[in-house]
Amino acid sequence: MRKLCISKILYNMGKFALRVFALSVLVFLISRLAPGDPLYAYYGERVEKMSVADQEQARERLGLHEPLFTQYARWLQAAFHGDFGISYQYKTDVKEVIAARIGNTLVLGGLGFLLIFVFALGLGLFCAWREDRTADRIICRIGTVTSCVPEFWLSLLFLLVFAVWLDWLPGSGAYSVGEEGNVADRAAHLILPLAVVVLGHLWYYAFQVRNRLLEEVRADYVLLARMKGLSGRQVLFRHCLRGALPSYLSMMAVALPHILGGTYVVETVFSYPGIGTLAYESARYQDYNILMVVSLLTGTLVIFCNLLAGIVSGRIDPRMRIQNGAGGGEVRNF
Amino acid sequence: MDLLEVENLSVSFYRPEGEIEAVKNVSFSLGEGEILAVMGETGCGKSVLCKSILKLLPDIAKIKTGHIIVRGEDIIGYSEKQMRKLRGSLFSMVFQNPMTALNPCMSVGEQIVEAVRLRQPGLSGRERQQRASELMYLVGLSHPEERAKQYPFQLSGGMAQRCVIAIALAAQPLVLFADEATTALDVTVQAQILDLFLELRKKTGMSIVLVTHNPGVAARTADRVALMKDGELTGIGDVEEIFEEIMHQQNFI
Amino acid sequence: MKKRFPFFSLSVLTAIVVSCLACSAIMTKNPLYMDLAHCNEAPGKEFLFGTDAMGRDIFSMIWYGGRISLTIGFLATLFSTILAVFAGSVSGCAPARIDGVLMGMTELFLSVPGLLLTVFLQAVFVRTNVYSLSVVIGLTGWMSMAKVVRTEVMQLKNMDYVLAARCLGGGFFHVLIRHLAPNFFPSVLFMAVMNVRNAIVAEATLSFMGLGLPVEEVSWGSMLSLSENAFLSGSWWIILIPGAFLTGTLLCLTNLGNYMRGSANKRHSNLGRQGILKIKKR
Repeated sequence: MRKLCISKILYNMGKFALRVFALSVLVFLISRLAPGDPLYAYYGERVEKMSVADQEQARERLGLHEPLFTQYARWLQAAFHGDFGISYQYKTDVKEVIAARIGNTLVLGGLGFLLIFVFALGLGLFCAWREDRTADRIICRIGTVTSCVPEFWLSLLFLLVFAVWLDWLPGSGAYSVGEEGNVADRAAHLILPLAVVVLGHLWYYAFQVRNRLLEEVRADYVLLARMKGLSGRQVLFRHCLRGALPSYLSMMAVALPHILGGTYVVETVFSYPGIGTLAYESARYQDYNILMVVSLLTGTLVIFCNLLAGIVSGRIDPRMRIQNGAGGGEVRNF
Repeated sequence: MDLLEVENLSVSFYRPEGEIEAVKNVSFSLGEGEILAVMGETGCGKSVLCKSILKLLPDIAKIKTGHIIVRGEDIIGYSEKQMRKLRGSLFSMVFQNPMTALNPCMSVGEQIVEAVRLRQPGLSGRERQQRASELMYLVGLSHPEERAKQYPFQLSGGMAQRCVIAIALAAQPLVLFADEATTALDVTVQAQILDLFLELRKKTGMSIVLVTHNPGVAARTADRVALMKDGELTGIGDVEEIFEEIMHQQNFI
Repeated sequence: MKKRFPFFSLSVLTAIVVSCLACSAIMTKNPLYMDLAHCNEAPGKEFLFGTDAMGRDIFSMIWYGGRISLTIGFLATLFSTILAVFAGSVSGCAPARIDGVLMGMTELFLSVPGLLLTVFLQAVFVRTNVYSLSVVIGLTGWMSMAKVVRTEVMQLKNMDYVLAARCLGGGFFHVLIRHLAPNFFPSVLFMAVMNVRNAIVAEATLSFMGLGLPVEEVSWGSMLSLSENAFLSGSWWIILIPGAFLTGTLLCLTNLGNYMRGSANKRHSNLGRQGILKIKKR
């Protein structure tokens, strides 16, 4: 049994490594295939001031004449040592630029994810319980509308209403000038972007929960559970939720990078200093080194979460857990 | 006085396309310790009849007329809350497909213990386990402790049906509705389950309403037989009477 | 339970589409003309929906830009649907190894955040125009649909009637077109409608951020890219009106898509409380 677990962990780690490797190849290829001289990625505008001979020399030194494969190998080697190159726009190490901003994105995305996780489950349960009654219908209507509003426009709308017209909340940045350590100030800056992130995603997941539960509610075991004397709500919470939980958890594992990625647009509109704004600026100024690392980071997270989703549903759902041979009492069948 | 009396019961489904009369003006009575087989073709309303007595039908189904009298008390106007109490103690039901009737995500032990807890809330955890084991033993499941840890998909159809019966018995019901309880099972297992019903009646003295479309099942087990066709009750009487009648009719045709 | 046909959504959508296609008949001004004497003018008689920071008439731009937004939505979806149906059916029918490789690639594409992929691809085209943007958006939107098609094909291919068709000597494309396609059509149609929606959102988001169509090229997204200016001058109409049209179109598309998906739940809930119709207690 123990051996089985270790081989499984190794298998999953291998799968993860392979996918990340494929991702890095893809990202590298796209960045090299993109137009514009890769020399720009290293020297920026200085390239224009260099003589043709200097440019050639630089190319030679950076190995840009070599085949793509060798270039990739060199890039990968550097990446393993934590060297992702220089940001052309910020003139500093890519790592530093990203490290300075990733915290902000994690706070926004993480909080958003937590709120969505809790509310989607609650809302889905409530709607499934009140299926096809007034409350459910109203919530479904409102939900459909909110899921249709593009995030960037919702951000604009909130900015216009709450920051410009009502002037209740600050509409840009992560903190006011000179108030870097003030938690209340940071929270105030977080409210609007967070509201957009949550509203933009919430209904999609809540609706999935609702539909999944409605499937469960139609199963025969509900009748038997009611036969025992359980009320409708008890059946929903004790029995149906249990059936829907594995798929919900794996869905939310997949959703994590999705929600984090969704903050990118929101960050840009609110000028929130996170990875999203960074990615956007790098895209505008063709700062490929940063764009590559951001893509790699996000992509790795996606791959990790996908793997996690598979493992989670495999562990929680007894049907999958036991069929995969990882436990459960074996009794001879007579 | 009979245990259960059904008078002029009519049930309709109100679909967008129109009203569908599933049960029309059905009356019958059930004595204590009696096994009544309700026989008829598939779709003739047998199952709806049972479920409507227990009020387990979906929202679109409505009882139009009739009375359901349990020991002299008319339960037709009972609220969901009152019905819940009845379901937990007076009535119980066994369903056609044991594999779908058990929650696939809970071990069978948990499901039986849950039923015990609802019926006897005072018991401690260990006593509940004890009672669950007793029930499993009663329905003929060997190794109850190990069996309790298993999930429904690990069981065969016959064993799963025994578990469903154990859950139904946890309520110590006066009437057990067996809705095509043997249809989905192998023939030999069918016979075992039917024997189990007879044995349980002897031990607990409960009445059983056996819904089936199989005359063999009815003849083997029941005291009386009710015939249903297109939602109507076309005949009710002792097994011999009814079967003779059927033979008679078929000879005429 | 039965879903009602979304007449309202369909008629609103049709109205918007027809008006956008026939924009030259509706427009009161030249949408591209920058009337610098009338910058940031509030909605009024002359400029029905006001003017933007560059003095262009928003009412005319809505229809003119809508045409471009809708075209991109349609073209991108066409592109991604063809790609998805092809990749999905091949993957679903192919032996496990090829299927694994194809699905691995799909996963890989899915793992790159859509925005970044678009931005990268966008950079490949030197000069952005409607067609290049459609291709880019289409290239980023085929993966999940391909997965759905694959699952459907996998389920269907083991059905007896497909087996029968193959026994009778039907080739791969014959089986695909005559037997498989009609069966996964509803779910593909739903995904396609949703893809139109997503493509319109993607175009608007990209153009809004200045990564899609340039400001001179009018679309619902690029109209909103002037919003920063609008905040400063307090001209709400620049933000609200194009956005409302955008959201309205998306909502209609969603309703239509949901209708096409059909109702999944044919059975009735077992939690139902069967009622009784006025019977006197005895």
